Amino acid sequence: MAIGDKVELSSWEKLGNFFRGRSVWMMWYCTGCGAIEMPPTMTSRFDMERLGMGPMATPRQADILLVTGYLSVKTLRRVIYSYEQMQDPKYIIAFGACAVNGGIYFDSYSTINKLDDYLPVDMYIAGCMPRPEAIMNAFNDLQEKIRNNEVDGWKRYKKNYDQYKKNQLKAVGEVYVHDEFHE
Amino acid sequence: MTFQNFLNAFLFVLAAFAFQTSITGINRKVMARLQKRRGPRWYQQFLDIFKALSKSSISHGWVYDFGVIMALGGIMATVIFIPVADFRAFPNTDNIFIISYVLAVGMLGMAMSASGSGNPWASIGVGRALTNMLAYEVPFMVVVVTMIFGFKTASVGEIAGIQQGLGIFGWNLFRMPLGAIVGFISLQGMLGKKPFDSFIAPAEIASGPMVEYGGKHLGMLFILHDLSTFIEVSLIVNLFLGGGATFLEFGIKYFVVYTLANLVSGISPRFKIDQAVVFYYKFPLLASIVQGFIVIFTGWGVTKWL
Amino acid sequence: MNLLSILAVLIVGGLAAYLLSKANKLLGAITTILTTVLSFVMLFGIKDQIGSTETFLYFNFQLTEIGWYFAFVLSLTYGMSAFYNVCYKDKFMYPNSYAMLYILSLGGSLGLFFAKDFITFFVFWELVVWTSAFIIPLGKSRRASFIYYVVSSIGSMATLFAIMWIYKLTGTMMIKEALMSVDLNFWPSVILFMTFILSGLTKIGIFPFHVWLPLAHGSAPHTFSPILSGGLVKLGAYVAYLSVAVFPSYEIFGEGWMYRGIPLPIYFLMVLGAISIIIGTVMAIKQDDAKKLLAFSSVANGGYILIGILMMDEITFAGGLLHLFAHAVASATAFLTITAVAYRTGTTKISELGGMIHRMPITYTVYLISIISMAGIPPMAGFVSKWLILQGLASKGLIIIAFAAFFGSIGSFMYVFRPLAAVFLGQLAPKHENLKEAPIMMLIPMILMTIITLTVGVVPKLVLNFIVDVQAEAGIKVVSMTGGALDVFNGYLDATRVFVIFGFGFLIALVLFLLMPKTRSVSLMDTYTSAEFIYTPELLHYAHDFYAPFERLYKNHPSTLKLYERASLKLKEIGLFVDYAFMNQRPATSIMWILIIVTIVTIGGAF
Repeated sequence: MAIGDKVELSSWEKLGNFFRGRSVWMMWYCTGCGAIEMPPTMTSRFDMERLGMGPMATPRQADILLVTGYLSVKTLRRVIYSYEQMQDPKYIIAFGACAVNGGIYFDSYSTINKLDDYLPVDMYIAGCMPRPEAIMNAFNDLQEKIRNNEVDGWKRYKKNYDQYKKNQLKAVGEVYVHDEFHE
Repeated sequence: MTFQNFLNAFLFVLAAFAFQTSITGINRKVMARLQKRRGPRWYQQFLDIFKALSKSSISHGWVYDFGVIMALGGIMATVIFIPVADFRAFPNTDNIFIISYVLAVGMLGMAMSASGSGNPWASIGVGRALTNMLAYEVPFMVVVVTMIFGFKTASVGEIAGIQQGLGIFGWNLFRMPLGAIVGFISLQGMLGKKPFDSFIAPAEIASGPMVEYGGKHLGMLFILHDLSTFIEVSLIVNLFLGGGATFLEFGIKYFVVYTLANLVSGISPRFKIDQAVVFYYKFPLLASIVQGFIVIFTGWGVTKWL
Repeated sequence: MNLLSILAVLIVGGLAAYLLSKANKLLGAITTILTTVLSFVMLFGIKDQIGSTETFLYFNFQLTEIGWYFAFVLSLTYGMSAFYNVCYKDKFMYPNSYAMLYILSLGGSLGLFFAKDFITFFVFWELVVWTSAFIIPLGKSRRASFIYYVVSSIGSMATLFAIMWIYKLTGTMMIKEALMSVDLNFWPSVILFMTFILSGLTKIGIFPFHVWLPLAHGSAPHTFSPILSGGLVKLGAYVAYLSVAVFPSYEIFGEGWMYRGIPLPIYFLMVLGAISIIIGTVMAIKQDDAKKLLAFSSVANGGYILIGILMMDEITFAGGLLHLFAHAVASATAFLTITAVAYRTGTTKISELGGMIHRMPITYTVYLISIISMAGIPPMAGFVSKWLILQGLASKGLIIIAFAAFFGSIGSFMYVFRPLAAVFLGQLAPKHENLKEAPIMMLIPMILMTIITLTVGVVPKLVLNFIVDVQAEAGIKVVSMTGGALDVFNGYLDATRVFVIFGFGFLIALVLFLLMPKTRSVSLMDTYTSAEFIYTPELLHYAHDFYAPFERLYKNHPSTLKLYERASLKLKEIGLFVDYAFMNQRPATSIMWILIIVTIVTIGGAF
């Protein structure tokens, strides 16, 4: 299944997409400086709730994983862990230049450049920083795509799991931590 | 107990859900206006619930599923006991103690399921919620005892009916003003609204009992939350505002009470859990006991009124 | 068959159990089951002989409704807990003595309930005290037994004093005749009443005599804690009944001050009951030992029972007696489940356990149902009794007592939930990975007790019928029921209907759950940890300081036990002084004291 291919859905799934496309809960992973753009997006100036979006406390409850900024190798492990705890269907938005292609950290030894190699990104927001308008626009587009069943990142992740895992292991490596919290 | 009773009960639960969920949606808009925002569509709450139900979910063992079912079942049963205007799904089941203790089945089910997830935050949240319950429930129940003593009945519907005789000044809001204040303060705790919402503090303990829920479990908990809101606000409307002679009257009073609670919540900070206990055991408890003594020894508000 | 045959079965069975245990431990354990269950069954055989009197040697017995009801509750808990003796037979220090004392303590209780005269009453009372005082040190601590014995003795001696006084006043030892013909003024009768009821208060663990309960329950042998909580403390309620219902307390005290229709001495005891509820609740909330937690909950529930019995009306009295049954069953069941966990893991500390549900699901379910009953949540027996008590308190307008009742009721959600969350739910420690479900001999009584709790909760008429008989015997209005539903003047409760509606709600929720997409099972450690990797289940288990914010509010509370300890220290110092002044080896001091005493006596004789 290539990206963008449409498959026939059962009427249950169509109904599901109807609701999913109008109500998205996000969990933002505030790794970088991008998180500072979220408060104005949520509060009175831009008010993202009016479009059916809202923040959630844990990955179990959320639909969207918002990766706001650069990902060091250390945090990538956590992002993957959080993503795998989310419930299907789930979507990823890569936010800002760093998450798209590395941005100003493109040659850093400790950050990854392209998030899409490790997790299936459904929507990019370019910019350094993207303004709240851009965020709202991205969310709106994502909702529209969900309604039209054009988003299949979580299916891609399942299908190409081995490939993703390989990339992840290559970046993260197998790290065994020994301290009071780890055996 | 005929088939008609059960059908009525089922339709009543559906209606209660639709009613409260719409009002929650409207109140989300009210809150938004309070914060100078536009707010979501009024039916956004429905979309959220059905979206959650349509997603996949995980299970941490049988008690995790069973607890949610038991919680929603208990809350639905409690909704069936609630008298609205002259509607009763089953005759003679609107005893106040039955309502408040069947409500506890739902709470226990949810607490059990949350702890069953194995997440420590869930247990912390449940511990806080139970402590909170000890705080708000006791003053409220003392007022309820006063009412039962005064009106010689523990039936919520009958207490509501008695108040309707004298017009607006027959309401317990005026007959027992101290008790009514306690009732409204307790409602704030029952609904888990600020300043008594530390058990679901999202940033501190990751939404407490709800931390592990996703998908249909979360959807069912949203339904549960809306239904338990319906129960609690209905109790206050019936006990202090004379219920309603018609569904419309009841609905209007309900909307006013719930919106008021929401507005208070919108401008309040949050109590720590031990502060909440101390708060409830100061003025509200004292006021409820004073109200009790007034009614019991002078009859003011019950035998001597207008 | 008469009541003597039941007592004979228990006394002979007790001695036989001793001898059989010498030969084979298993035989002795089985004897305890057979005799106690047989006595329970035989009780139903003599239900139609109410009022009959029997005499054996110097002992006079009479079967009364109240005596039968108490015997019914006690032999039920004894019979059910006896099944555990089979599993525990190898863990006791002296299995033969344990088997004998176990049966004899039931025999003592039953003899006490059937006693017609005070001598029989007191002899059997002491039999119970002595047998239990010898069983408790078979567990963890001797000090607990010592404190239990001291507190019991205070009560026993006070009651003995009251009995002698009554005999002097009336000239008869027959309980009923003597108590009913006491003719005293207000204050002497108050003193008589208080001294007589004192043994009941100590036994039921009313403040300030509650100190022995947590110690004794917590350190008694695991198999005997259910008996202490579900059986022995209920003896106190019987004494309370005798002193308030047989002794015409309401008529005698009616001359004095009344508070809302309650004579002040009785109201005073009800306030003590209310204090017990509050103390039991707040102390239970902070316990880390599951057995101590349940022991403090017994203190709290003892308060409810006492308040119910003292009210002597149609609603609360029925509630008190029903609560006696409901709490006996629920509390014994909760203790049995904790015992089962202790049998498998070797500890009752809440913070050392966790995730037991994944290894002992049946035990978990039994515990869940017992705590639902203990917290007074429908559709269990405990709800009906609490409902009656609350309705009764509301009908009289006893606000302060009602406040305590609500505090205890909602506080009980907190303390019963703590073992549920921290022992049974949460993370399973790796060291408990290979546990098995409790053995079958433990599951039988647990499941039977659960069925009883649920059945009585759905059809309360089954037990309320006995209580109606008791109320008729006591000469008060009986609680009114219309076709199985409680129909008191300020409330209506059809427990069956509540149960059916709850079932209906559960069914809707179940259908909704099954209609929605299927769930995927994940492991317990796959849980939200803020994306931190944690591999140690014990560290992800929330069991320490469960209610820390609430406990902080009263962490510097005064302790009754410490008060007693200080008092005893002072007493010891006085003793040392006396010892120093009078009992020393110097002849000069002795001669001086002798002279002083002789002088005083001589002067005294001159007058």
